[in-house]
Amino acid sequence: MARWAMVIDMRRCIGCFACAVACKAENDVPLGVWRSWVKVIEKGRYPFVGQSFLPSMCNNCANPICVRNCPTQATYQREDGIVMVDPHRCIACKYCMASCPYNVRYVHPTKKIVQKCQWCHHRVDVGLEPACVNACPTSALIFGDITDPGSEVSRIIASNPVQVLKPDRDTQPQVYYIQADMAAMRTMGLAELDKIEKHEGNRNKRS
Amino acid sequence: MEPDVTILYNVFHEEAIGLPIAIYFYMTGLSAGSFLLSTMAYGFGLQKFKPLGKTGVVLATLLLALAPVNLIIDLGQPLRFWHLFPYLNFRSPITWGSFLLLAYPINCLIYGFFMFKGNLKLTKTFGLVGIPLAISVHGYTGFILALGKAYALWNTALMPLYFLMSAMVSGIALMVIVVQIRSWVTREKMNHELAITLGKMLAYTILIDLFFVLSDVLVLLTADTEARESALLLLQGEFRPYFVGVELILGAFIPAILLLVPRTGRHTPTVIIASVLAMIGVFAMRYVMVIGGQGIHLS
Repeated sequence: MARWAMVIDMRRCIGCFACAVACKAENDVPLGVWRSWVKVIEKGRYPFVGQSFLPSMCNNCANPICVRNCPTQATYQREDGIVMVDPHRCIACKYCMASCPYNVRYVHPTKKIVQKCQWCHHRVDVGLEPACVNACPTSALIFGDITDPGSEVSRIIASNPVQVLKPDRDTQPQVYYIQADMAAMRTMGLAELDKIEKHEGNRNKRS
Repeated sequence: MEPDVTILYNVFHEEAIGLPIAIYFYMTGLSAGSFLLSTMAYGFGLQKFKPLGKTGVVLATLLLALAPVNLIIDLGQPLRFWHLFPYLNFRSPITWGSFLLLAYPINCLIYGFFMFKGNLKLTKTFGLVGIPLAISVHGYTGFILALGKAYALWNTALMPLYFLMSAMVSGIALMVIVVQIRSWVTREKMNHELAITLGKMLAYTILIDLFFVLSDVLVLLTADTEARESALLLLQGEFRPYFVGVELILGAFIPAILLLVPRTGRHTPTVIIASVLAMIGVFAMRYVMVIGGQGIHLS
């Protein structure tokens, strides 16, 4: 059985947001919520400055805390590792959202159920790649079977230094990043949050 | 130190759990506290607490009948609440809760029934059976937060104990207030000695609660980045008025001092004022834990 995984190579990412847009279109994600997005940070002072990106989505963890905590088994893990939400089973108690260390789940504003990135399982099941991977113009996103040592993801993970988000949470995330910036990967600090809120007023503030 | 970092773009999703859950935690805490006080007389035979027995069981049952309403209105799909039973997941603390929320009020009803019937032997049996149930029905809410491991403020083994101790604080305080109101309504004289005893218990439980807060905050400040940020959010950030102001000063320090200073602690009105403050303080604690815990943005 395959076990899907993703590699995101930050050496190739140009921060174009094509992945986020493709995801919105493919999965009919409503306004105000995102299944996949690109976190953008800037650091340093002129003339020594840098910008880093972090394409973010559900890590479809190998040890998912959301599956463990879901009281109705609405969130479950398929054999190929994709963590799913059953739209008919979910009661939207939002405990999965409170348990997820990656902030990748949301309540659909009108359907009132919890949704998340499911690595476009409907595409993967017919042999296509997820929409974000398909849309990436620089092939920074690579998707494949991590149990097959010959697959592209396996070869890249084996031959490059990779890291995952918050490995200390023991969720065993299956999105592997190459050369992601420390400040982009970590949880946003309160000082950084203050700066955003001052910059953007209430637009991006949590609802 | 790394250079200046500015986040140019990031996504925020709404806070997962809100005020109804904080109110629910508060109500189960009050219920468990009232129940435990009611078993002092009818379970353990401490005659001094006999006047609290019936009030305690009525409050415990009523509060626990109303508390789950908060849970159901908080659901995105309230009509699907029955999914909790056929599709249960024993690894989820919410599933433990669904069964405890059934068993505990039923036991309360049976216990109360025998108490009002005057069958002391069976009252004692169901009172003693109810003690672990009351502890579980509130303790599991601590586990809900502790096992929602995303947030540093929640993910601590102290959480269930901290919840139970604050439940005792709020339960004792509620009992003092309700007994006082009852004595106004029935125009009976308030049992002064009982009020002072409850006041002492209240003071000691507040002190234990304060120890938990101290222990929690000290460890959070040294554990890891997210933990430190959570602690700072409570101590200096937007939750400071609720945490330091209401929970600690108004809801713990002032009532503890009022009750422990011999000059003021001997009077029934002091105990009543301290009880009102303690109830406000425990509500602030639930609010700070549930909402403040989610003040850190995880992406």
